[in-house]
Amino acid sequence: MEVNEQLIKAITKAVVEQLQRGGAQPTTTSSSGPQSLAGKTRMRPKRSYEGAVRAKQGTDPKEVVIGVGAAFQTEITKTIGGIPLDEVLRNVKAGIEEEGMVSRVVKVLDTSDVGFMALQAAKLSGSGIGIGIQSKGTTVIHQKDLYPLTNLELFPQAPLMDLETYRKIGRNAAKYVKGEKVTPIECTNDPMVRAKFQVKAALMHIIETEQLDPDKGMIVWEGAK
Amino acid sequence: MKLIAGVDIGNSTTEVCIGAVGENGYFRFLSSASRMTTGTKGTLPNVLGIKAALEEAMDRIHQPLSALDLVRLNEAAPVIGDTAMETITETIITESSMIGHNPSTPAGAGEAVGELLFLENIWKGKPGVPYIVAAASKFSYEEVAARLNQHIPELDVRGLILQADEAVLVENRLSKKMPIVDEVRHISRVPEGKLAAIEVALPGTSIRMLSNPYGIATLLGLNAEETKSVTPIAKSLVGKRSAVVIRTPHGNIRENILPAGEIVFHGEKEANVNIDAGADKIMETLASAGEIRDIDGERDTNVGNMLRRIKTSMADVAKEHEGDSEIRITDILAVDTLAPVEIAGSLAGETCMEKAVGIAAMVKTQHLPMQKIAERLEQELHVKAVVAGVEAVMASLGAMTTPGTKLPLAILDMGGGSTDAAVLQPDGSVKTTHQAGAGELVSMLIQTELGLHSRTTAEQIKKYPMGKVESLFHMRLENGSMQFFEESIDPRYYGHVVLLAPGEMLKVEEDIPMEKILEVRRDAKRKVFVRNALRALEIVAPDHDLRKIPNVVLVGGSAEDFEIPEMLMEVLADYRIVCGRGNIRGVEGPRNAVATGLLLSYLG
Repeated sequence: MEVNEQLIKAITKAVVEQLQRGGAQPTTTSSSGPQSLAGKTRMRPKRSYEGAVRAKQGTDPKEVVIGVGAAFQTEITKTIGGIPLDEVLRNVKAGIEEEGMVSRVVKVLDTSDVGFMALQAAKLSGSGIGIGIQSKGTTVIHQKDLYPLTNLELFPQAPLMDLETYRKIGRNAAKYVKGEKVTPIECTNDPMVRAKFQVKAALMHIIETEQLDPDKGMIVWEGAK
Repeated sequence: MKLIAGVDIGNSTTEVCIGAVGENGYFRFLSSASRMTTGTKGTLPNVLGIKAALEEAMDRIHQPLSALDLVRLNEAAPVIGDTAMETITETIITESSMIGHNPSTPAGAGEAVGELLFLENIWKGKPGVPYIVAAASKFSYEEVAARLNQHIPELDVRGLILQADEAVLVENRLSKKMPIVDEVRHISRVPEGKLAAIEVALPGTSIRMLSNPYGIATLLGLNAEETKSVTPIAKSLVGKRSAVVIRTPHGNIRENILPAGEIVFHGEKEANVNIDAGADKIMETLASAGEIRDIDGERDTNVGNMLRRIKTSMADVAKEHEGDSEIRITDILAVDTLAPVEIAGSLAGETCMEKAVGIAAMVKTQHLPMQKIAERLEQELHVKAVVAGVEAVMASLGAMTTPGTKLPLAILDMGGGSTDAAVLQPDGSVKTTHQAGAGELVSMLIQTELGLHSRTTAEQIKKYPMGKVESLFHMRLENGSMQFFEESIDPRYYGHVVLLAPGEMLKVEEDIPMEKILEVRRDAKRKVFVRNALRALEIVAPDHDLRKIPNVVLVGGSAEDFEIPEMLMEVLADYRIVCGRGNIRGVEGPRNAVATGLLLSYLG
């Protein structure tokens, strides 16, 4: 079966129709422009980050900064594959700790693009290595001197990832800090994932993007209170 | 004007050279090319490779293949090389009694002794007894730490063995410092209730107690007899960062000496030598046997099977001979080596460096079916093809075109399968010899000693210098200097040892330090080429005296290597011999000597 634009459009249409028929709250989909958003109901209420502490530039050479998405652990609590985000974060941190390095979590409120999230986290990190995790689970390991789109490692197929993979991502990031040889992480690959999860991914991304607050930049994040 | 091609079929490469002869005898070299040899040297499948090489060479001078007037093939030396490797010792663990491995991140430091206790049975532990706790991966690091912390006040827990890679995570959460070894894959095989000793070394050092038989005796309270039996354990733990040794009443580790067998030399004298005696002894015996007719191995032993395998693989060449189907090995080169072998019955997939011997054998046949190759070539190309000239003579002629040489001239032709030497005297007489062992044996030694999965990687390690990518913008080269980059190196190479092939970097996938690769690479080259060069030159030298050879020209594929010529130069300098990499026709480097010689001999 071929995955093309028409097919994705057809699936999108079917899903949206079903959502509306089922009496779900009216949503805006990715197909509508930003202008038409005005006045319409948001997908989730805007969370206020009033009083949040801006994350500082790190100086510890053992540090890996994990930059999580704007909706991480707040509006969204599970990845697109259904793994609780608390567990995801715990495993990434455990992977870093096992290699003897230190982790620090920040929430990125300027962007929801995972490449840029990871790069910003890397720039904040004392070691120059950072990890970006979107709330839907997509993850990137980045280094501060690289171009945004040439990262160290990218894990694009979030629905197929498990906790073991997140542990290994933490481990690999720590190994980059130590300058050790990094073994690529085995990932499963499924060409149908894109078709199956396109709509869900788009909706989750919109929820995340809605929560952006560029004035706040990156803030210290210790989980939802 | 006539276009003539010289073709040299070697064990691994086929080289061609094209020249033009004018009416007045005026002669000029036009182009050359080299290709992989297709099939075993001296068999009909070679024709494919020859055609490809000829096409490439003719392409360079923008001429069709049909423009050729004559193809001259060398009378290839009827020797074919092959290599094999066999381990001669084997370590077997009966009942699990040791774990010695290198998890990348053990935790804590020091040594500890105690009775083994599984985490699920920790409530059974008695106060006052020292314990070493083993935890399976079904317990998360938080659970392991919580349970231990709960029991530590009343139990004497000295050390910890984990199945998961979580030693540091558990250590950070424990209320008491202790050595922790993790990544023990088969933890269910750990015998509960037995006495165990555990040791973790500080970063950058290796264990001291458990890699020493007396250290194990001290920790586990062994008597002299038992200490003797743990020596193989201590041996296999040398250089590890962490280890566990468990005392089982009946279990032991044996170093089995495999029935390696004897090599039998049929020469002027009959001689035999046990392969356990090591490479030096084997080579000594070989020399004492005089001229060799055939070499055999004892039946149903490792070496016997090995030599038979070599002979069988040569069978296809033999089939093309009329009336001579017998394959005889006329020379071998034995080299001592070590091979990492997974220990039978191990708990964490540990390996042990076992003694092994690598052998290159050379098979001499009566006559290679070169005439048949020439006929086939003539049919396919519609160009006259003749077999002309003996390989060694042609190589000498070709080597003479190197600037700065004079007669008498010795050549050392270091190819893939064999190392050949010849001395060309001013009166035109030539003395030649063929020795087993060359580039392919070096590749095999590198592959086995480093435990590489692919031969290709081993060949690349042999061919190219290395560097380690230390950051995205700099690399440390094997000679210690640094190289910086303006643009970032591809992140895929980060932290890897890379081989600096022309125009690209090749990753070494295996996690082996650069220093180790360097040592193994140089050692393998020295073991094979230095030994073979001396051996071969001694045979062809007048009165077998190396000092009577004034100059040696290195030719063949292995002479192109970036360090072998220097190694030989160092050794031969002791004999006051001028030795260096050939430069055929002043342009070709050490390649193409035979093909060039074939053209020169046409002129007479």
